[in-house]
Amino acid sequence: MAAVAAPAVPPPVRLRVGRAAGLLALVLGATLLLSPILGNVAIPPGLVVRILLDHLSGGWLVSSPCAGFAVSPRLCAAYGEIVWESRFPEVLLALGAGAALGCSGASLQGIFRNPLADPFLLGISSGATVGAALVFDFRIDLSQANLALPLFAFVGALATGGVILLAARSRFGSVETLLLTGVALSSFLSSLLSLLLLVNPTGSLQVDFWLLGNIGDGTWSVDGIVLGVLLITGTLLSLFGRELNLLQLGNDVAQSLGVDARRVRVLVLLLTCLTTAVAVAFTGIIGFVGLVSPHIIRRTFGTDYRIVVPGSAVVGGAFLLGARDLSVWVLPSSVLPIGIFTAFAGAPFFAYLLYRRRSRSPMGAV
Amino acid sequence: MTDPPSPAVRLSGVTIRYGERVALAGVDLEVRPGEFVALAGPNGSGKTTLLRALLGFLSPDAGVVEVLGGEPRSVSVRERARRVAWVPQEEGARDDVPLLDYLLYGRYAQLRPLEGETDEDRSRAMGVLAEVGLADRAEDGILSLSGGERQRAILGRALVQASPVLLLDEPTAHLDIGHQLDLLGRVRSLAAVGRVTVIAALHDLNLAARFADRIVVLSRGRKVADGPPASVLSEELLERVWGVVAELRRDRRTGASYLLPYRPATPAPQGPTSLGPGPVHVVGGGGTASPLLRALAEQGYRLTAGVLNLLDSDHETAQELGVPCTVEVPFAPIGPEARARLRGMLEAARAIVVAPFPVGPSNLSNLEDLQPFASRVLLLPRTKNDAWDFADGAATRALAALRSAGAVEAAGPDGWRTALNDRLDLAPKPA
Repeated sequence: MAAVAAPAVPPPVRLRVGRAAGLLALVLGATLLLSPILGNVAIPPGLVVRILLDHLSGGWLVSSPCAGFAVSPRLCAAYGEIVWESRFPEVLLALGAGAALGCSGASLQGIFRNPLADPFLLGISSGATVGAALVFDFRIDLSQANLALPLFAFVGALATGGVILLAARSRFGSVETLLLTGVALSSFLSSLLSLLLLVNPTGSLQVDFWLLGNIGDGTWSVDGIVLGVLLITGTLLSLFGRELNLLQLGNDVAQSLGVDARRVRVLVLLLTCLTTAVAVAFTGIIGFVGLVSPHIIRRTFGTDYRIVVPGSAVVGGAFLLGARDLSVWVLPSSVLPIGIFTAFAGAPFFAYLLYRRRSRSPMGAV
Repeated sequence: MTDPPSPAVRLSGVTIRYGERVALAGVDLEVRPGEFVALAGPNGSGKTTLLRALLGFLSPDAGVVEVLGGEPRSVSVRERARRVAWVPQEEGARDDVPLLDYLLYGRYAQLRPLEGETDEDRSRAMGVLAEVGLADRAEDGILSLSGGERQRAILGRALVQASPVLLLDEPTAHLDIGHQLDLLGRVRSLAAVGRVTVIAALHDLNLAARFADRIVVLSRGRKVADGPPASVLSEELLERVWGVVAELRRDRRTGASYLLPYRPATPAPQGPTSLGPGPVHVVGGGGTASPLLRALAEQGYRLTAGVLNLLDSDHETAQELGVPCTVEVPFAPIGPEARARLRGMLEAARAIVVAPFPVGPSNLSNLEDLQPFASRVLLLPRTKNDAWDFADGAATRALAALRSAGAVEAAGPDGWRTALNDRLDLAPKPA
């Protein structure tokens, strides 16, 4: 088919976002370096950055971080320990968990064609926590906990995801059904969780951790698992962007264009459950990150899922990192559950989306 | 498609059921490559079901569906899309995707997994945009398009898909006449150069006759006619399949035949058997008679109405329908002049239908004045718990008197049609 006319072809999508993505990466990198300054022990900001640069560059950029600071060698070693073994892993966990929740939320919104889908609201996070809580009840050897936790969480998330998928596929699969199913599942699962935690041998201290979300457990090995899984699942989910775009036109149209809608739904849900589970296994339930992040991306870069999914990961990571910084800045002496902060920001936003959706044409491009 | 005689699409003995309902019953159909076939038939005749079977959305309960020599359900979804493109009747777009990106969705089946659209794909999409007359809207979001533009965008996406078989489901439903001709003309010319085989469900028989090589008529899931437009279109077919009285005419310039529909054919079993002289009188108020007036007017009854208040919505409806009406000024009891006029109307009426209107002291006479004509009165049922008698029981007594004098009550909300026919036959003809 020869082109009838050759009007100027607009530039492809990737060029349109390239510059913005570069800027975002720069900001994120800077935040990553500066976040460890905040903490319950006051360490000179310059020293924190120097310690990080020393470790990150392998001594190439900065060789003796404490040079020029009035600190004893013993204190210098302790500071180094705090920054590199505690704060930075914590910051990385916030980033990783936020990114995992962000791209999970975007993918769920894609497969359910529903701008209000989110791993927390749909109960998938609760499912993952219940799965993870079983680890404690089965008294699994804690030396393997880093592997057992995400694995059990994945099973719990998957079971919940299956129920949601069934609800969405039924004749009554409207937005309301989906959300109400999520609400019902969530409350069922959190009672189950409370029960499991009450009978668990390690005591009720864990309850706060699971129900409110916490990144205090960040260690290098945890970060390795979270970021490693995220790298794989996040990449795969981003590669489904084109299919998710087509799914937005409805099942039939997507099929007629060549998308195997059912297969895509199941695969994406599987990957989403895995991604969410890994985050939840180490941080507990952190709500609304998966809901808010895709909306911010859509507002800025449009509705193309090839951008929305990876973009939501970046925004989700930044969001949770910001929440961590805020929580440490406000109350440096205590370990405040980070989920409280995301809920403070996310819940009003959720309400806003609900009302806006009602006041506009059905399913407007929220 | 190497062998010319092999059909692009073949159905043999295809039966498809939705539960108990038979949507297609033993349909045979062959469509040659490059042919433009129009599917015609009333709503629910099986047109869309046939298209959905070709798309592989439904598998036949009996018989064989073949597209380009293979059953749609036996190949992958992607391969199906390479064979068949679809223009749905409507599509619930919710994201404001730029139009060019939207057209590029059509390339999905042609791309390997992970492969991005090439510059060639993009210029092909731009070419199609120009073809459907939307080249200047390439960067606009699809939600900003008008209904007609949206329809052309969907056609564009199907053309970008470049599949040899193109299915259209009422593609002109949202288009004005200019764009209908335009869109079908484009599809026609594509078929003419052999680029696509077209099967289009079309409501409008005249459009079908003008653009299609062949018209296939479905009625209740069966194929009842199949052939070139000139041999298929007939007054008899229209009355038999659609229940419409029409006249077949010939265009003086083109020689093409077209149908001029007049009215629904009347001898439906529950319709009025004879529309003799003397109107049907409707008594109502407070908006209760409006649906009744409309339904009766639609059925072809001559009507009168009253007594109604000037500001009543029933009065507005009567005026709108051109129904002669006795009126009274609002908020006042019905006066002697109005009652006299009503009496005249009642005497002339072949039947009197009473809507379930609220009765108070001011309009109580509307019930009482019916008493002498009780044998012609048909009462529409009232909802049990609705308060309607605001005249301290006088209205209830008047109604009881009417009943005992021979007024009948329609059974159920739709029973009035049958009851009215009985009444018309029973009612004494006006002198």
